[in-house]
Amino acid sequence: MTALLNILAIGLLLGGIYALVSLGLNLIFGVIRIVNFAQGEFVMLGMYGALSASLAMGMDPYLSPVVVMPAMFILGCIVYRFILRPLQGEPMMQIFATFGLLMVIENGILGLTGGIGQNVSSFISSVSVRIGPIQIGLPRILVLVLASVATAALWWCLRYTLRGKAIRAVAQDRKAARLMGIDVEQIFMLSFGLGAAFAGLAGCLLAPLYTLSPQIGMNFIMPAFAVVVLGGLGSVPGAFVGGIIVGLTEALSGFYLDPALKHAVLFMVFIIVLVLRPAGLFGVSGAEEVGLREQS
Amino acid sequence: MKLTRRSFGGLAIGTAAATLVNRNAWAADPIKIGAVNPYSGAMAQYGDEVTKCYELAAKVVNEKGGLLGRQVEIVRGSATSPQEAIAAVEQLVGRDKVDMLTGCYVSAISNAASEAALNYGKLFWETNALAISLTDRGLPNFARSGPSSNEFALRSVQAVLELIAPSIKKTAPDITVWIEHEDSSYGTSIKDEQVRLLKEKGVKYSVGSHSAKAIDVTDSILRAKDAKPDVWISTAYVPDTNLLLRAARDQGFKPSAIVLVGVGDTPETLSALGKEYLEGVLLVSYPRPDINPKYGPGASGFLDLYRKSYNRDPIAPQGLTAFVGLKMLFDAINAAKSIEFEAIIAGAKTLDKPVGSYETGYGVKFDKNMQNTRALPVVAQWQGGAVKAVFPPEALSEGVKVVNLPRQS
Repeated sequence: MTALLNILAIGLLLGGIYALVSLGLNLIFGVIRIVNFAQGEFVMLGMYGALSASLAMGMDPYLSPVVVMPAMFILGCIVYRFILRPLQGEPMMQIFATFGLLMVIENGILGLTGGIGQNVSSFISSVSVRIGPIQIGLPRILVLVLASVATAALWWCLRYTLRGKAIRAVAQDRKAARLMGIDVEQIFMLSFGLGAAFAGLAGCLLAPLYTLSPQIGMNFIMPAFAVVVLGGLGSVPGAFVGGIIVGLTEALSGFYLDPALKHAVLFMVFIIVLVLRPAGLFGVSGAEEVGLREQS
Repeated sequence: MKLTRRSFGGLAIGTAAATLVNRNAWAADPIKIGAVNPYSGAMAQYGDEVTKCYELAAKVVNEKGGLLGRQVEIVRGSATSPQEAIAAVEQLVGRDKVDMLTGCYVSAISNAASEAALNYGKLFWETNALAISLTDRGLPNFARSGPSSNEFALRSVQAVLELIAPSIKKTAPDITVWIEHEDSSYGTSIKDEQVRLLKEKGVKYSVGSHSAKAIDVTDSILRAKDAKPDVWISTAYVPDTNLLLRAARDQGFKPSAIVLVGVGDTPETLSALGKEYLEGVLLVSYPRPDINPKYGPGASGFLDLYRKSYNRDPIAPQGLTAFVGLKMLFDAINAAKSIEFEAIIAGAKTLDKPVGSYETGYGVKFDKNMQNTRALPVVAQWQGGAVKAVFPPEALSEGVKVVNLPRQS
């Protein structure tokens, strides 16, 4: 029983990591309909941002989102304005462009760091807490809590603020939104910037858990796509629930079957969900097709 | 520019003169050794480090008058993948006219480069890549001067039986071992040999695997924790090793001994875990320059030479093994009195030096597959934030002893 509780807790915490990484990816896909292959690299940049803030200002990585998120937001806006916007109306080319961006960012950081692994530590890095029979690291609990807060904040903003409503309107029908006077291009740029900023937040919170390397972003991106598709394309709560499902599936199959089989089990669940609910658990029926439909 | 008869004549005379000068230079041409390693990408710093140490070995031999009366020159060929390795060999042989090739930090690159070298009839002298399959192929142009993955597995099992078991007051049938490995051919090949050796000695063991790219390895740690082993041996890369150790710390997994194979001895692991947690962690590693001078004669001389040449300390212990590997190649060439690959391989087969002959403590005696049977890694240990050799006993420097075994934290 203790083992089961322990592994459920581990799965939940891992789900928090996936939810956090998928939040920005889902926002970008939901609004702009771009499959952003460089999202993992944005997370990696967030990690190196936390490292830079720690080295330059002695800032704890858990405080570094204060500087990293705005920086990533600006980077996201620049990437959209100068790389993706000129390719508007060429969805396949936009996807290839994000793949090119992935290579540029990864190799750029590789050139800067020489590939040497880096670590960022916080005063809580090595603290683990015991809750009944379960022992878990405090940084992981913090990731789950902040992933929940970030999801709730994004959901609230999209639902109740004017900008959020504009983002949802563009996500639903960009032509109608344009006719209603919404500056669609500005909303795209805002959404991409926000997606990058959330990746930056994920990077800052995950930096104390991992040894940083320029290739680390690639490790996150595959499960993150599974999370987004499982939860429902473009659905904010879907990304969170999808993250938790993926985390629990991985942890349970890794412990009770074999760690080597956990990805096989995860993608088996992924295929079953897709067959039964093509739009994902929280997606709107038909949303999965919108990305393929030409919109201008 | 307008080509006149006068300018054409000048050009022709110039070309003829340049050819004559080149012919004169050929007479004193150095022996060129192509060094195939990754000089860009994730492993660039280690590829560069290995080749820096080849260059030191060339410098040493050149200062003594060279090899077969000729200077030795190292020519770099960059490869980060097997495909690039083939292109690098083609370029080194075709454009740079190298006489033989050496390398390499990565087994997959060595595999492709050595086969490409055979197509050109060139020797491939392996100093560092570990995969046992490299020598198992029986390529006629291939020899490995350094240890293979089997030697790393052997040392880890020796550490369990000869170092850890007496410290925790257990013997072979009672001691329990968990073998954790990353699931590519690197980790799996070392695990297979560890399993074979432990089975042979009657030691109880369990095996767990994980992906080196896993986001979370807590499930692997919980499985190991459930098995309550005395010794936890891990073969992985740097990022997943650090992740495993962090998960072990968070989960309160405290085996009597932790043994890391191949990695865990760099500042990357020290900064990830801190010296308090790492105190007493054992490492199966390449011999380092600070080993006992009786075990590795001249190791401190290598360190001085390195510092003088590059104004820093070596960044990885692989460099010393690369340096020694090239010295063995020079010994083989001297024995062959030729730079043809068949002659060098025949010359290498005649080498017979006991353990403790080189700076790493290696000796040299090649088996039928051209694997040096007298190149063994050492067992080192984290002590106060530094790595010290602790096994075999002859490798211990003065004043060094084993600490925190069984682990208290």
